[in-house]
Parts: sequence; C-alpha cells; structure tokens
Amino acid sequence: MPFIETKNLSFTYTDEDDPQPVLHEVSLSFEKGEFVAILGRNGSGKSTFAKLLNLVLEATDGTITIDGKSVHAELSEAEIIDLRKKVGMVFQNPDNQLVATVVEEDVAFGPENLGIEPAEIRRRVDEALEIVGMTDYARHAPHKLSGGQKQRIAIAGVIAMLPDCILFDESTAMLDPRGRAEVMETVEKLNREQGITVLLITHNMDEAVRADRVVVIDDGRVQMDGTPREVFAKVDELFALGLAVPQATELAARLELSGVPLTPVEGADAVENWFNT
Amino acid sequence: MLKDITLGQYFPGNSLLHKLDPRMKLILTLLYIVTIFFANNLITVAILTLAAFLLVPLGQIPMKTVLKSLKPLRWIILFTTVLNLFWVKDGKQLVDFYFIDIYSGGIVYAASMALRVTALLAGTTLLISYTTSPIALTDGLEQMLSPLKKIKVPVHEFAMMMTIALRFIPTLIEETDKIMSAQKARGADFETGSLLSRAKALIPIFIPLFVSAIRRADDLATAMECRCYHGGTGRTRMNRLHYSLRDLFALLCFLLFMAGIIALRWAPLPAFLGI
Amino acid sequence: MKLELKNLSYTYSGGTTFARQAVDDVSAVIREGSITGIIGHTGSGKSTLVQMMNGLLTPSSGEVLLDGVNIFSDKKTLRDARFKVGLVFQYPEYQLFEETVAKDIGFGPKNQKLSPEEIATRTLEAADFVGLDRELLGKSPFDLSGGQKRRVAIAGVMAMRPPILILDEPASGLDPVGREEIFGGLCRYRDQTGATVVIVSHSMEDMARYAEDILVMSDSRLLLSGSRDEIFKNADLLCSVGLDVPEVTHLISELRRRGYDLPDNIYTVEGAEAALRALKAKLQREGATGC
Repeated sequence: MPFIETKNLSFTYTDEDDPQPVLHEVSLSFEKGEFVAILGRNGSGKSTFAKLLNLVLEATDGTITIDGKSVHAELSEAEIIDLRKKVGMVFQNPDNQLVATVVEEDVAFGPENLGIEPAEIRRRVDEALEIVGMTDYARHAPHKLSGGQKQRIAIAGVIAMLPDCILFDESTAMLDPRGRAEVMETVEKLNREQGITVLLITHNMDEAVRADRVVVIDDGRVQMDGTPREVFAKVDELFALGLAVPQATELAARLELSGVPLTPVEGADAVENWFNT
Repeated sequence: MLKDITLGQYFPGNSLLHKLDPRMKLILTLLYIVTIFFANNLITVAILTLAAFLLVPLGQIPMKTVLKSLKPLRWIILFTTVLNLFWVKDGKQLVDFYFIDIYSGGIVYAASMALRVTALLAGTTLLISYTTSPIALTDGLEQMLSPLKKIKVPVHEFAMMMTIALRFIPTLIEETDKIMSAQKARGADFETGSLLSRAKALIPIFIPLFVSAIRRADDLATAMECRCYHGGTGRTRMNRLHYSLRDLFALLCFLLFMAGIIALRWAPLPAFLGI
Repeated sequence: MKLELKNLSYTYSGGTTFARQAVDDVSAVIREGSITGIIGHTGSGKSTLVQMMNGLLTPSSGEVLLDGVNIFSDKKTLRDARFKVGLVFQYPEYQLFEETVAKDIGFGPKNQKLSPEEIATRTLEAADFVGLDRELLGKSPFDLSGGQKRRVAIAGVMAMRPPILILDEPASGLDPVGREEIFGGLCRYRDQTGATVVIVSHSMEDMARYAEDILVMSDSRLLLSGSRDEIFKNADLLCSVGLDVPEVTHLISELRRRGYDLPDNIYTVEGAEAALRALKAKLQREGATGC
C-alpha cells in the first residue's frame, strides 16, 4: 500500500469574482522511503499540492490517503494533528517558519505541541540537531544564522516530530549555492540514513536529478512521471513547459548522443563513446 | 542605522546572571525598582547605580555595549538634569546670574535624578533583557501568571504573541533598513522638506513593510499549524523552570542589600545630600 | 558613463559585533556600455561594494569615480550619483507600494522632478524594456505574479534611465522562464540606451550567458577581473573559493583530463556543442589518414 495516495485531486481557489482552478485530477502515489522531486514552473500548482497534503488547504474534489487514513473534512483535531505529524513541511522562506528566538527552543516547538515528555523532547532535539549538523548552534539566535543554516534548523524542527515523510516546498529557492548544497546534503541524508520519504518541490534541475523519481506538474496536471533519466530524456517537452534540463543532458541531446547523461561525468562518457563511433 | 539599536537585546552566555531563574530575575527587578524609589539621598542612589554597573561583569556583558545602549537616552537624562538644575530652589543659592538661579539642592537633585534614570535602565536591561533569553522571559511570565488562567485570562496566548514579536523584531528592523535603502535608491528623500512632506515620504516605507509583515504572519501561521500547534492545551515544554539554591542565594543577597539601602534613609548623612 | 573604483574599502563597525572588513582595497573599471557581472558567495562583500557604487554607503577609504569625478566629493554630487547609478536590490518586489503599477514605476522619475508627460513616457518605455504587458499598468502591483512584480520593480529603476544600472541577484527564486524574462529585459535596456548594466549574482551559469566582463569577489577582496573568457579559464581557482562553474565547463574539463584537445574557456552548452563537433570532425580526419 502506498504511503500517500491522491486520486483525482482537484483544487480551485474560490475568489468571489473569478474562481481559479489550480489542480486538475492529480492522481499520484508515493511509497515509503521514496525520494521524489516534484518539478514545475512558478504557478504550476505544485505548492498547492503540498498544502493539500499537509491539510492546510482542503481539496475541492478527489481524495487523499495518508498511511491508510483518508483525509476528509470531518476529521477531529487529534486526527489532523496525527496526520500532520506524519508529513512534515519545510517552506521556502527560512525566516518565516522559525518561531523561537533560540535554535533549540525552535526545534522543540513541534514536539512540545505534541505534548511529549520534557526528557524525551530534549533527547529528540539533540538528535535532530545532530542529524542536520547544527549541534554547535543550539543556543544561538536564529536571525543571526545564514539562510542554509536556518533551513537546516527548520528541518531539525520537523525531524524532532519523527515524521515518516517530509515535504520540501521550494526550500532551496531563496538560498545561495552554498546554502543549497547544505540543504540538499541534509535532504539526501534523511532519505538514505533515516529512511524518511522525501517529496522535494523545486524548479531546480540539479536537485531533481538527485531524486529516485521525478514528477512534472504543469498547469495543475501531472505531465510526466518517471526516473530522472526517463523524464530528462524528453528535453524538448521540458523546454516547452518552461523548464530546463541539466546541461550535460542538453548537450547530449544537441549532439544526438545515445543515452541520457545527467551529470558532467556521464556526459563526458557519452561524448567519448560518440568520438569512438 | 536602525541595526545599531541594542536596547532590549539578549546576549547568550553562561554567567551567573544568565543562570538565574527568569522568574527570580523578574522579582529582583521589581524589588530593584522599588528600592530605587526608596532611595532618598545622593549616596544611596549612587550606590544603586554602582550596583547596577557591578552586574555588568557578573553578566559577562561588555561594558561598551551597556554604555552604548544608554546612549540613545542621553537626551532624556540631560533634559531632566537641566530641568531639575534650574527649577529646584532648595538649599544655598550658588549662582544668581540674571534669570539663571542655581541652588545647591538643584545640583544634588539633578545629579541624583540622572543617576536614578541610569540605574533604572542599566539595572533592568542587565537583569532582564541582556541576560535573559526572551523565550525564558516569556516562559517566566507565563508560569508566574499561570494562576490567572483559572479566571480565563489567556496567559499562554499572550506569552506566544510576545515570543513571536520578539522573534520578528530583528527581522523587521532589517527589512525596514532594506526598504529604506531601496526607496532611497529610487530618489526618495526622507531628510528634507516640511514635516508634512517628510511624513508623506514615509508611505513608501510603511506600505511595503506592512504588506511584508502580513505575508510573514500568514507564512508563520501556516508553518506553526504544520508543526501541530493548536494552542496551549496539551502542550508540554522542553525546559521547565525550577528555582535552584542559586536563586535563593541571589534573593537573600538582594534583600540584605535592599535592607541596607533602606536603612541608609535614616543614616546621619549631611543634610544637603538629601533629596 | 565610466565607472571607476579606486582602492575602495569598507569596514562595518556594527553595534555589538567586532569591526569587520567587508570590502578590502578594491580597484576596478566598469567598461562603459558593458554588461558586467560581479560574482562571489554570500558575505564576499559584493553587496557592500555595489551599495558604495551609488553612494548609499560611504567607503571607509577610496573613491568611486563617475566620469572621473569622485561621487563623495560633495553633497550635490552624491545626490546626483543616486540618479546616475540606479540600484535594484535583491527581491525588489518587496518595495512596491503604489496603487497602480504605472504609479509605482513613475515613483523614481517623480522624485527626479520630471514633468508628468515625461514621467508617462518613461513609464511606458520602462514597461517595454522589461516586457511588461501595458494592460497591467493600471492594475495594483499586489495583484501580479511574483515574476511580474519583480519586473515592475526593475522597471521602476529603469524609468529613471540611469546610465549605470546595478542589480543585486535580479533573478533569484525565479524559474527558468522567469530568469530569461529578467535577463532579456536587462539586455534590451543596455542595447537601446547604451547604458552599463552591472549584475551581482552567485549563479555562474547566468554569468556565462549574459556577462561580458566579470569581477570575482572573495573574502572582501577582488580575486579576479577581466573578460568572461579570461575568467572562465580559471575554473579551478573559482571552485576553490566556493563558486560553481557551469556543469558544461566541468564536462569539458573532464574530457580534457581524459586527454582530449579542447579549449579551456567553454562555459555554455552552445560553445561546448561547437567545440565537440569540431573535435569529432578532426578526430575523424585523423582516423581516416591514419588507416
């Protein structure tokens, strides 16, 4: 059974004068332990999808099942909290998701809301900070950290709730290359070492390449779904959707090389093969 | 620049002052304020000011920082001093120059007033804002006021609001700085013109700031909801406050000090020092 | 208009922290009419540097020369410099405030005390530069999409028609199409007005595509400066200071390591394609004669 499953999920923003449909019949399922990149332009509906999975928004039509529980309007507060605990969210703006004025207090915020014993919170906070490599900053003030560090704190705050899945909603978009690398390293580590299911919403190809699976959303519809190699093979279609592909892939397509290289080294291999034919 | 404001900012540390229970620090601060108003002569006020500055090394705060935080208040201090200097007409007249009359009482009164304001500010900022993390402070307040929950006072909600305000003050100050620079780069002029035109010049700052604050609030509310926030019920805390021997010791020391100061009210001091 | 930096230094005295040298003895000439990139990672001093270029920050030492005149020589020159050197900050959409897009774009020209007719012309012109649909001019800027807001904010500075336009991370957070729209607008502005455009960025791929000259900042100092070709020859040095060269440059250096005779200044996919096709043809010729 998939961990998260959506069936014909639709969502329309109800603005009095012009209702704007954002998602159309999105049916997707995600297995436990998967690392999926959700790719799409700004305004493609991918963030709305994230907000539906975290019960921030309510679907206009269609169903969502998380860990066997179906999401509907009549859920009790306790049930909602239980579902939210399973699917953690990390947002785009690092400043707007940190609540406390001390790093470790912020990480403790989630577990505190869950009513966990103080000693256990302490243990979880220490462990979460260790995982994201921010133990040395436990007593620092968040506003003095770099963007990448703030995002890692936000990630630690989610890990401390022991989620099965974490949804990253363009969490690297506002970071510089160094911050981006820090966050991506953490994301991969969570998936590989902690077995956490990762849904990474992004419009950055270099990040999507690192996933096990890539889902392309455009105009509120699922356009492609497959391994990075399967998806990035469709270079022209991706360009038409206003997305890019890794440079190695683009180069290979222009030279009409065989295979879909995703990294510079794979690209070099493909070029070498081409030279030898 | 706005970034230079340090008043009301926490300096993380591990000093004795940092380690005191925030509730105790609140109690001590209240007692300190009361003592300042009990002090009725220049000597006791001077001792109180001195005591405030003795807290500086105890809290491991750089003296420069403390003095800098007092700087914006120099005009208030100067104003009250000058006012007292000319208006108080007690004691011996020292200067009689046209309309300027200065009496010995005026000098003593002005000096003690300046010291009082300094002591009040230095003491409270040291005890509270510099050495107490805002979150510890709100926790302290929340726990001290929690009996009020029984009469339906939303203590937790107030504490949460305070925490968030404290968290976002530096962010919003930085943002104001940025917006000001951006509008300056578009030729906005905040420094010249009549009062009305200067007030109007602030619109390009306030509107973007307001819009951004609302957006941040909206983002934060979503983020908090996603982290399972559902008000104060059923919520636990990682760090529970408990008084230690240290707190008791601090209280005892302070009470002795306070008793001493109050005793000095009746000490046989030269009359001209009285205020 | 020629912009020259002479031994510029800036030290932050910052209230509670220790004094920090943000820019250390930087000298450079920004070529008139060029698109110049300033690259460096966060904290390398690039943002401080550009704020001195239009006089928002006063250098601790050194001079900023506009056509040979130090902009800090007197108050009037300084105020003029603000209009001559337009500065667009990062995430400029957060500075929008007017009721309509047109009014917001016209805010700068209004501060320049231009006539209403001139302001109207400038507004239309600037909207065209950034490729903003004229129908949007009557809308509230707060009703636009993120990419559109960004373009309105940039148009707001272009409308002041500065001979030098500086932008701090103009495309950050935008998707590939959004980036293209922004950079396209900047190129149009340069081509049609002959102005100098300075782009601050940490994306080497954008630099490779759009910048003709590049200044590389690292640890408050100017590490390298020169034409794009000259800069990208130093791929290893760039990597060593934490900057990322485009992937395609990595690909070509990998092939060079494997013994293929390829030039060391390739930084775009187009360039790589041409070079590889040329090499393939050469290898085939050699293979043919070799037999």
